[in-house]
Amino acid sequence: MKLSFNVNQRDVTVDVDGAEPLLHVLRERLKLTGTKQGCDEGECGACTVLVDGRPVDSCILPAGVVAGRQIRTVESLAGPDGQLAAIQQSFVDRFAIQCGFCTPGFLMTLTALLEENPRPEETEIRGALSGNLCRCTGYSTIVDAALAATGDDQ
Amino acid sequence: MTPSVGRSVPRPDADPKVRGTAVYGVDFEIAGTMFASLVRSPVAAGRVVGLDTTAAAAMPGVRAVITPDQAPAHRSGLGLSDQPLFASPYISYEGEPLAGVVANTLENARQAARAVLVDIEEVPAIADVGAALADGARFIHTDWASFTPVPGLPDWRRYGNVCGELISDPGGVDEAFELADLVIEDRFEAGRQYQAYLEPKSASAVYESGRYTIHVSHQYPFNVRDRTARALGVRPSDIRVVGHHIGGGFGARLDVSLEPYAGLFARLIGAPVKLVNDRVEDMLSCNSRESAVIKVRSGVTRDGRIVAREYLCDMDSGAYATDTVFLISIPMFVAGSVYQVGPTRVVARAVYTNTAPSGAFRGVSGTYLYFALERHTDNLARAIGMDRRDFRMRNLMTDGQSMLNGQVLSDAGILETAFDAVEEMAPWASLGVGPNRGVGIAATVWLTNPAPGQVTLKLNEDGTLGVITAATENGSGAVAMGVRQIAADELGVDPSDVILTMPDTDGQGFDAGSQGSRTTHIVGRAVREAGADLRRQIVEAGAQLLEESTEDIEITDGMVRVKGRPHRRLSLADLAKGAMFRRGPLAATGSYATPIPKYDPESATGMLFPTFPTPTYHVHVAEVEVDPHTGQVTVLRYLVAQEVGRAINPQGILGQIQGGVAQGIGHALYETLEVGADGRYRQRSLEAYRMPIAPDVPRVEAALLEHPDEAGPYGAKGTAEPPIVPVAAAIANAIADATGGSINRVPITPEDVLEALDGAQDQIRGEEE
Ligand code: FES
Ligand code: FES
Repeated sequence: MKLSFNVNQRDVTVDVDGAEPLLHVLRERLKLTGTKQGCDEGECGACTVLVDGRPVDSCILPAGVVAGRQIRTVESLAGPDGQLAAIQQSFVDRFAIQCGFCTPGFLMTLTALLEENPRPEETEIRGALSGNLCRCTGYSTIVDAALAATGDDQ
Repeated sequence: MTPSVGRSVPRPDADPKVRGTAVYGVDFEIAGTMFASLVRSPVAAGRVVGLDTTAAAAMPGVRAVITPDQAPAHRSGLGLSDQPLFASPYISYEGEPLAGVVANTLENARQAARAVLVDIEEVPAIADVGAALADGARFIHTDWASFTPVPGLPDWRRYGNVCGELISDPGGVDEAFELADLVIEDRFEAGRQYQAYLEPKSASAVYESGRYTIHVSHQYPFNVRDRTARALGVRPSDIRVVGHHIGGGFGARLDVSLEPYAGLFARLIGAPVKLVNDRVEDMLSCNSRESAVIKVRSGVTRDGRIVAREYLCDMDSGAYATDTVFLISIPMFVAGSVYQVGPTRVVARAVYTNTAPSGAFRGVSGTYLYFALERHTDNLARAIGMDRRDFRMRNLMTDGQSMLNGQVLSDAGILETAFDAVEEMAPWASLGVGPNRGVGIAATVWLTNPAPGQVTLKLNEDGTLGVITAATENGSGAVAMGVRQIAADELGVDPSDVILTMPDTDGQGFDAGSQGSRTTHIVGRAVREAGADLRRQIVEAGAQLLEESTEDIEITDGMVRVKGRPHRRLSLADLAKGAMFRRGPLAATGSYATPIPKYDPESATGMLFPTFPTPTYHVHVAEVEVDPHTGQVTVLRYLVAQEVGRAINPQGILGQIQGGVAQGIGHALYETLEVGADGRYRQRSLEAYRMPIAPDVPRVEAALLEHPDEAGPYGAKGTAEPPIVPVAAAIANAIADATGGSINRVPITPEDVLEALDGAQDQIRGEEE
């Protein structure tokens, strides 16, 4: 079936199979491979994208659901001049990245959190991140990066 | 230019990783690739009596169904050649490959793999070490006696379901027990732990001109080369392995998994082939940390000395020998390296079961061996009524004492410094105070893997420095921070002018992979060797270009100058350009392997891993609170004192500590792959396999202790592996303290906590009556 939606400020129309997950459409049909597939079962958060501003696990979201909606992926975060978004720069500066496979998912979850609540407390940040697994960092530097992006760590 | 060693310089691969442009192994595709999926055994033990591929071959997009008769029939392995590519006809674990399907898309390959009909005569599985060792137990491999070690390795004692056995019995142990005032005996168990790297395993291969090129995200490309060569029966040089960004490994990407299949299928169908595990097959087939049973018995005197010890361990190797035949040496280092002990007997066995072959996971076997040792140490202290910390301090190893293998620890006195360092962070007496709270302490000695590496440094014509190495950046920062910063300081250039390569076994010298914290130490040292040579060449070229003698040339701040005449100088770029057509491009290669420390080869039999080179010293303290109603454990504070030699990038090391402690908390409290009576895992998805999430993990407080190592680059020792090693021990001791009960296995479930609380209550009631 034909499916139209907006991804990263661009209108797209793609052919999709009935139950095809959004993650598959993004990675395989639109070649947006920044979004990662860690489990394909809605457990790891590596595939997190924003649908109308809300973080979702794109691996278990049937693509049909996003008809007419706005999708944002990690590729949308940096500015058109290539400048990193504040949360991305904060990840770089705060050593919040090791293997980096979880990073796109964390960035999208935090982008949604900070848009809704620009000054979250540490416990709110940790709570918001409960759906994102990171096997490398032990989370603290990711939390630090989020706090730094709120300007509250000074 | 300020030296970059010792500074927390951000890593260069952070940028592509935050943009989503970093290409991981699973993202990589060779043009024109086909996709393959393995048909895996649904049962743990049995015999394949029929394989019907007709339906699968007719499925959409299917190019070929690969059956065992198309594959080499011989066995190969990491240490022991006991593993076939396909189970044929005997199945030894659930998930063992039976056949393969190649199709135009991954989905089509997976669907067709499900359509291959396999007729299996199932037999009862041998699900654990106890069953495998029972009298009259079926042999997992009836032809075990015909298996041979890989070329270059002498054979060792193996029998039936025991694929390796270490025995260290120096004599006098039983007599020494006679001298004890008290003998305490404990039994411990540890569960299997899945590495759970976020990027599932994958492999892409193409076969051209009689050679295989394999693209993969792997910690040890040269082992992929060698292991694939052995599996396919070809020369190592017939295989080229190219590395891509790695989405975590933690040891699971040190041995081969999908690579030999990718190579074989690519040759058979004459087109590139890619395999990708789905998460379930990744879990089921992964070389997870082995489960184990440990028994420790020690004799102590009333004044707090350990006078005799026996340390027994059975490790579950799974269906094939893999790493455990090496790991059975490690109990020997754990039983007598942190604390002074009297005569000690160690017996450790690697045991076949009908489960997925276990393997390397960060802190290989040390996590649970120290858990057992340190729980036991607490019990010894309690038995003689001594404070647990005082008892440890009293028995600590000091400079110049020997481990059970006869290797001298010249700097073991650092242990005491580490105890002092955690005391300074938070006094022992101040922690674990209050109802339902407890504190635990654990100390460890760990090694830096000594295996070889090589680096070529080349001075590019724009003055940047190329670092050509097959060392892998698994995420730890060992290459992106350690190697890069050490290289920058060789010529005094900015780290941003250091250009790192990705691994390619055709283009680079041997490297033993990211294991045992070796990369910064070994590869960093190779950088220093190459740097000395490259600087000599630069000085010679400078002398030639500036028409001075070499004694008068120096390299400072990324410039080549004439001593005493600072205006007579060349930038490195001009020097490289000038040298190019006069003497050729400037490059130098350095190699390094840690010399094997002196040890006593008679100290044990079956010792395939005989020494603990470049040891480091660690003390961890955990403070916990248990919920008396739910049994939930909260880790309130976590302190680490870690000896690092020299910190090349302090933030990088702190990141390894925080991450290692988080994995250790998972091992201690949540993570386990339980094996059912049918030999199948009970946890079969990331939903069922509970891992630490952000609210579970406290901010670790850490002190880095610097004691520069003579051989290490700027004194650096290994740092990334050990932070996981003491964690289960420290947390278990804290929970035992909080509950007053006994904690004898990891992971420690809420039920275990409630049971420990009940046990303590019963004990108090018993004493009151
Ligand atoms: S890939 Fe979607 S949650 Fe893991
Ligand atoms: S950085 Fe590796 S999983 Fe998060």
